[in-house]
Amino acid sequence: MSNKRSADDLAYPPKRPRRNNDHDDYIEIDNEDDVIPPSPPDTSVVPRGATINFSALTRKLAEAKRNKDKDISNLSSLEVHRRQQDALVSHIFNEQDFSWLHLKTDHASRPLWISPDDGHIILEAFSPIAEQAQDFLTAISEPVSRPAFIHEYKLTSYSLYAAVSVGLQTEDIIEVLNRLSKVPVPDSITSFIRERTLSYGKVKLVLKHNKYYVESSHPETLQLLLKDRVIREARLFSIQQDNSIKATTFTTSKAPVKGNLVIPGTKEAKKDEAAPGKTPAITANNIPDANLFTSVVGVESDEIEEDDDNVHAFEIHDSKIDEVKKRCNELEYPMLEEYDFRNDTVNANLDIDLKPATVIRPYQETSLSKMFGNGRARSGIIVLPCGAGKTLVGITAACTIKKSCLVLCTSSVSVMQWKQQFMQWSNITDRQIAVFTADQKEKFAGDSGIVVSTYSMVANTHNRSHESKKMMEFLTSREWGFILLDEVHVVPAAMFRRVVTTIKAHSKLGLTATLVREDDKIADLNYMIGPKLYEANWMDLAAKGHIANVQCAEVWCPMTPEFYGQYLREQSRKRMLLYCMNPNKFQACQFLIKYHEDRGDKVIVFSDNVYALEAYARRLNKLYIHGGTGQVERMRILSHFQHSPKVNTIFLSKVGDTSIDLPEATCLIQISSHFGSRRQEAQRLGRILRAKRRNDEGFNAFFYSLVSKDTQEMYYSTKRQQFLIDQGYAFKVITHLDGLTDMPDLVYKTRDEQIELLQSVLLANESEAELGSDIRASEGDLAGTVTSKDFGPTRFPAAQRTTGSLNALSGAQHMSYIEQNKSANKKLAKESVSRHKLFAKRDKDKATARKEARALGRG
Amino acid sequence: MRAIKGVLLVCDPAVKQILLSMNEKQSFIIEDLDDHHLVIKADEEYRVRRELETELEKNTYSLD
Repeated sequence: MSNKRSADDLAYPPKRPRRNNDHDDYIEIDNEDDVIPPSPPDTSVVPRGATINFSALTRKLAEAKRNKDKDISNLSSLEVHRRQQDALVSHIFNEQDFSWLHLKTDHASRPLWISPDDGHIILEAFSPIAEQAQDFLTAISEPVSRPAFIHEYKLTSYSLYAAVSVGLQTEDIIEVLNRLSKVPVPDSITSFIRERTLSYGKVKLVLKHNKYYVESSHPETLQLLLKDRVIREARLFSIQQDNSIKATTFTTSKAPVKGNLVIPGTKEAKKDEAAPGKTPAITANNIPDANLFTSVVGVESDEIEEDDDNVHAFEIHDSKIDEVKKRCNELEYPMLEEYDFRNDTVNANLDIDLKPATVIRPYQETSLSKMFGNGRARSGIIVLPCGAGKTLVGITAACTIKKSCLVLCTSSVSVMQWKQQFMQWSNITDRQIAVFTADQKEKFAGDSGIVVSTYSMVANTHNRSHESKKMMEFLTSREWGFILLDEVHVVPAAMFRRVVTTIKAHSKLGLTATLVREDDKIADLNYMIGPKLYEANWMDLAAKGHIANVQCAEVWCPMTPEFYGQYLREQSRKRMLLYCMNPNKFQACQFLIKYHEDRGDKVIVFSDNVYALEAYARRLNKLYIHGGTGQVERMRILSHFQHSPKVNTIFLSKVGDTSIDLPEATCLIQISSHFGSRRQEAQRLGRILRAKRRNDEGFNAFFYSLVSKDTQEMYYSTKRQQFLIDQGYAFKVITHLDGLTDMPDLVYKTRDEQIELLQSVLLANESEAELGSDIRASEGDLAGTVTSKDFGPTRFPAAQRTTGSLNALSGAQHMSYIEQNKSANKKLAKESVSRHKLFAKRDKDKATARKEARALGRG
Repeated sequence: MRAIKGVLLVCDPAVKQILLSMNEKQSFIIEDLDDHHLVIKADEEYRVRRELETELEKNTYSLD
């Protein structure tokens, strides 16, 4: 069953339970009482076999089971009947029928359901203890979907690794789960948890002197890993190693020794280790090649001080890091990547701190505490909504580690934004922070510093200029304490791999708002960077006022018969143009703009399609910005939108998706979008999440999607919403805008006008239907993520040829031209504010100084 | 003149457009009354309904 609401669904009263089709005939006869499944046994005389309440089904079934167990005396007809009932519905759930699970007697006060099959956990978010349960669940599992009342989480290997690494004990996890669950924790789940948590942390990936080592205090684990072909091939033999001693030799180093040492070999030894006190253990006997190792007696008790044991390591090829990591995960020996930055004396410290005035918000602190949970820097991904201060999290992390840091982002514009943010929040000086883009190649002064660059600059393998080559050598030759990866979810896996393998970094932090990809490469991130450390709950942040409350709505605009008839006849690309330009959508857009302007909202209208953007903006007489809009004009429009009470609406193309920050905006309407991209939907929502007025009482921001009914747009629109729905947003469907028809000067009111519009759409080039055609990536930008403010050369319309006499064209025959339907942009008064002489002079001085400096640099 | 058994279909303008385009492939419409009403051949009704259903389903997103 699709989850798309069809008009028919709306006709039914919502309370009415759905029934099996086979029993449709009964619907009319049954009265309301019969629809509610009877739970007390005495009502069993009612013939109700055919009516089933699906919504309460699972619970009722389980209850039935329990009742059955209790009333053994009452086996009789009731029992038989229950059986029948079970049989009737269980096929619906196929493998997923868990009605055989026994509910605990006090299940009502426990908030969790655990699926024994796939480790999904369902939380009743309305339970009084839901909040504590949520804290616990976010620690051990990954959130899948968090709408208002029922949350879904999933236990995964990675989430469990993360749980163990913050110090949760296996038995505690099981114990707490058991306490919260309505049913006893299934055996499959307990053994899953045990398995995953036990193997965690045995193997480490360490970066020493610019070489990667796989390190473990358990030599047999290393041997086990080396039996694997992939890992064996990735191994790098150092020269002094005697190759004749087969693959079983490891470099054994005595890490900062504390007297007695041991190789904790067996699992028992590992367990003992956790116990306090010194437990002597001899392991030599059960390892065949034990004589090759320095095996001594005595053990350091605390697991944290594992470093004090004899550690065994083998070196691996830089280029194979990635495969090895992946393989280790598959072998269920995930490699721990932790960086003990406080004890790192090899790499120079960076003198960086947050400015005293900088305050980080509670959730930012929580996310960072997950990263630095045990005093070391753990690699992983932090997921925060757009506008919730991801940048500050990254900067704070850099300030905590205080080592050289490399920041990678998606475009040259964000490079400058990152640099500026670093300067704003921390006390770093201009000399310590450098930028590496296509135009600028700087190095920082001193031993340590920060470099900000783009993924493609670093991953690019060919056609490098001499300067960038040198810069790359600089980047690859040194060890980085910390690498910050902005918008990790958009980077193509191959490019990512190149970055991760060429740059040697002790710890990695990925930042993103939307951990969704349309191509399922998310799993790769898990081993390339690390597990998801923290994912914020959007609804929570909104409730606490960190981001704005948003009302989301999908407005259904019926296609006019003429447009729809043409739509059915056209091919896919032209279709898109037709559903964007639907006159009813036009009207809905006009109505909503008017409605919200009257309320005092500032409105942004988004359209990916530039043709539609211009048509709408011109017709409705509003300002617009797209890729072809010049820099000066753009700045003027933006400042008018921000400051002038007369300009309350602007139209933006794709260029506004990310880079333009407009905290004034409180209402957002999208008329055309990039197919089913969930990420774009979230990014656009992000434009109004930082609304300045968000903390006003009862303030709501509005997010409308205008959708043409009965077209592909309906499909895309629902798909786009999925991510936000999982975050707990509810989309209302508006099928009719009240008062739309009474609006004065409504556009395209008559059929003639509509047909005229249709004609012009049909005349438009097919290329006009392209999305985001106005943007060009500059060198160094990641394809598809362009946020650049420099949009390349403006597009010139192709030349038009007409015949006419020169006299006429030059006006000699009383011909004059008038521009109809002028763009509102052009009517903006040219900037009249001249700067004060003092500033003008200063600007001029600055410009000449810069010129001289450049001349000097070249000479 | 021969009498044809017909069925009156009430639909919204968009669905009417779909029906019209279906009609081009295989004719079943007897009379096009207005934006909301059509008379179609009675024995084609089932087929038309089914095809219309699949056509409309194309624009629906489902999680599976």
